[in-house]
Amino acid sequence: MLEQKLIKKILNILLSSGGDFSEVFIQKRNLNNMRLDDGKIENSTSGFELGCGLRLINKDSTFYAYVDSIDTESLLNAAKILSSAVDSSSKNKVLDLSENKGGYKANVEQFPSDIAQENKKSLLDSTNEKARDFSKYIIQVSANLSDADDTVIIANSNGLLINDSSVKVFLAVNVIAKKGNEIRTGYKSLARTMGYEIFKSKNPEAVALEAAGIAIKMLDAVNAPAGSLPVVIGPAFGGVIFHEACGHGLEADAIIKDASVFKDKINKKIASNILTAVDDSTLRHHWGSYAFDDEGCPSQKNILIENGILKNYIFDYKSACKLKARQTGNGRRQSFRDLPVPRMSNTFIECGSDENEAIIKSVKTGIYAKEFAGGQVDTATGDFVFGISEGYLIKNGVISEPIKGATLIGNGPDILNRIEAIGKDLDFAPGFCGKAGQSITNEVGQPTILIDKITVGGTEV
Amino acid sequence: MEKIIDFCKHAFLKIKNKNVNEFEIYGSSAAHNEIEIYEEDIENLSFADTKGLGFRVFKDKRMGYAYTSNLSDSAIDSCIEKAIENSKVTNQEEFNYLPVKKEFMHKDTDFDRNVLYAPEFIDFTIEDKIKVSKELELSVKKRDKRIKGISNLIYEDTVSETVILNSLDLEDSYKASAAFLYISVISREGEDVSTGDYFGYERTPQKLNSDDIAENAVKRSTSLLGAKKVKSQVADLMLSPMVAIQFLGIIASVIMADSVQKGKSLLAGRIGEKIFSQNFNIVDDGTLPDGLASRPFDGEGVPKGRTSVFEKGVLKTYLHNSYSARKDKRLSTGNASRASYKSPPDIGISNFYLEPSDVNEGKILQKISNGFYVIDVIGLHSGVNPISGQISIGAKGIWIENGNLTYPVKEVTIATDLLRFCKNLAEVGSDLKFMPAGGYIGSPSMHIRDIAISGS
Repeated sequence: MLEQKLIKKILNILLSSGGDFSEVFIQKRNLNNMRLDDGKIENSTSGFELGCGLRLINKDSTFYAYVDSIDTESLLNAAKILSSAVDSSSKNKVLDLSENKGGYKANVEQFPSDIAQENKKSLLDSTNEKARDFSKYIIQVSANLSDADDTVIIANSNGLLINDSSVKVFLAVNVIAKKGNEIRTGYKSLARTMGYEIFKSKNPEAVALEAAGIAIKMLDAVNAPAGSLPVVIGPAFGGVIFHEACGHGLEADAIIKDASVFKDKINKKIASNILTAVDDSTLRHHWGSYAFDDEGCPSQKNILIENGILKNYIFDYKSACKLKARQTGNGRRQSFRDLPVPRMSNTFIECGSDENEAIIKSVKTGIYAKEFAGGQVDTATGDFVFGISEGYLIKNGVISEPIKGATLIGNGPDILNRIEAIGKDLDFAPGFCGKAGQSITNEVGQPTILIDKITVGGTEV
Repeated sequence: MEKIIDFCKHAFLKIKNKNVNEFEIYGSSAAHNEIEIYEEDIENLSFADTKGLGFRVFKDKRMGYAYTSNLSDSAIDSCIEKAIENSKVTNQEEFNYLPVKKEFMHKDTDFDRNVLYAPEFIDFTIEDKIKVSKELELSVKKRDKRIKGISNLIYEDTVSETVILNSLDLEDSYKASAAFLYISVISREGEDVSTGDYFGYERTPQKLNSDDIAENAVKRSTSLLGAKKVKSQVADLMLSPMVAIQFLGIIASVIMADSVQKGKSLLAGRIGEKIFSQNFNIVDDGTLPDGLASRPFDGEGVPKGRTSVFEKGVLKTYLHNSYSARKDKRLSTGNASRASYKSPPDIGISNFYLEPSDVNEGKILQKISNGFYVIDVIGLHSGVNPISGQISIGAKGIWIENGNLTYPVKEVTIATDLLRFCKNLAEVGSDLKFMPAGGYIGSPSMHIRDIAISGS
């Protein structure tokens, strides 16, 4: 897309009034999104994006500009504007660019551009039919199929040069069921960093059936209890509890700003002995995976907590420099329009040694939380919430009636010490995570776990 | 540099000769500035000039859409082709065509579009913006010695130009400016930590009141120090305007005509019914002079205006774009909305607010013998299901005893369902406040009776 010579020239202009680091991030992204709603293809949208983000770091300050083009004149112009914002005695030269061709390359079998829109339509149509056939109580189905084909060039004044590309496909199905006056919803998604061969591993009808199953089961839901109770959190999307209760607080920008309860806790015990948790951006084809992060740092496995001891934070380039730590390959951004910040990739709790059935059996009165609608955290206080979208009462060690949606609320450091059992059924679930106004792809994961006490936000006082 | 209108007109000539029945070009360009300050130093400073075009085509009553941020000739050509290709897979529907004048609910607005852009905006330099941001940090820190940190201090502004052209000879545009200043404050006392945030949002940065932002952020943070859980119970809630606005946002999501038509709204089939037990009025006004969401026309060129959604607690209308209006045999309320040129028109609110009463909120509080004054809520995305109406979210605030604010409370949830919320909404205050929240939503303080609070 852009000649090396020109890239180097831009990097040099950026540092012409001083500064410690300069970077060029060029991105070309083609997107398609098709939406089925109310039994028909309501919308089919395609997008073409091409642009460049320029970054200049001087001490603790970052200067950023982006342009919706890769036209030489606008890039040189933007670089000049940025460098004029800096007047620094720190003079640095741009090192010769040498390309890093490492990192795993995810093989793409079926590129989005090879799939006719007509085929995507029939895929959504069968999703719709399958969900509606599931039960007469299903009154509405909506489904979204989207794909993104991304190519980036990243170069910086440290001599780094990366050419990278990735393909992602995402299917989400929402089902609404109604019986009498009760309306319930079910949601399931399938998302991988791969092409349309994604549907060889799981067909879209299966996703539809799972979503329909949730909506129908929840029709008979009773009011959720209010108060502190033991909660068993199911595998896969249950991992959102770790993502919120702990993950965000380990992102190094929060540590630097003293806005995290996990500051100064490295090598200290912060969680139950049985907990080991990892952020791993190398998992093949997972939704949060990549060859390089958005600053060109190779993806890696980063052990965050080992047997209850905090081992590491989650770093991007700037935070790693500031805290004199090693980059962990977590500098991520939504697009060339955004600054990279430390973000999780695939974050999960490793398998434990408890049997899943035994975990449920051990609870006399409590909640089994199976599916979630997401969550949120205040990293400075550690206070977090996450919403149950499919949950059940546990009575005498047996899963019984479904409960209406309820939020679980707690405090990160407190909850981490309350994990009493961890099962062996590790599984993952894809999603999107919002931070600093940027939405990125993320995966959470965990086996079944037991938390001895957490506040359940029901209505049955 | 070429202006966005020129790109639109150039693209118009290209698409005019294509084999489509109707088309629309929606273009926008913006100059954007963002500054983050940390410890009296610039943490981030970014600027951008951005532009893009979105093409909506209708062919045989099918609609296709494509957008591009790359405005080269060849990119525009492929984008148009892609929009046409997309129109071949979408559903054929009799209601798929461009809006025409007889479908407009608000035909003749006398809205002065000049208010959208503050000419003094350009007099405020980058240095001024950095200065006002740094001053906010200092102002916050000197207000209370328990303030120990700032987790976010962001200044943002945008000047944008929006253009719409269509094959029915519509050509219109407007220019708008906005500036936003936000701070999130961390306070500490012993082992206890608390956060609180506040913002200012104006058409031009000169109007941002950093003293007001500082005072509110500090109050919201420090007043919650020492907070504890309360016992699970049913009690009255008093919602501060910032929280009430977020509940009003949930109500906004169930009055969109497309949700109603697809069976995704609890208010389907309930026009004319009294949804609130009290006589509240809720309005969507896209032409409010001070409304930051005011625009002369909506996302498909239909004039905006004042639409009464609830009158004396009775549901009067849903909000429509032209497509949903045809389906219901109604007029478009001018609520076609677009997040940007990247998406075709959907339905959304503009300035959406609950009219205040003339009762002072302090007077309302005095009447509550046992209740919870809610200052902040967390988990709206995950804890609210607008389709089933279930609400269960985290909350913090101050406990009310015999009409007085007593001790701070946190780590509790409040749970109800949307219809019960409307029924139990007993009284609102006079302190109408607006906040950008997927539109520009305004609410006074709210008193709601008998809501389940879950704690220890």
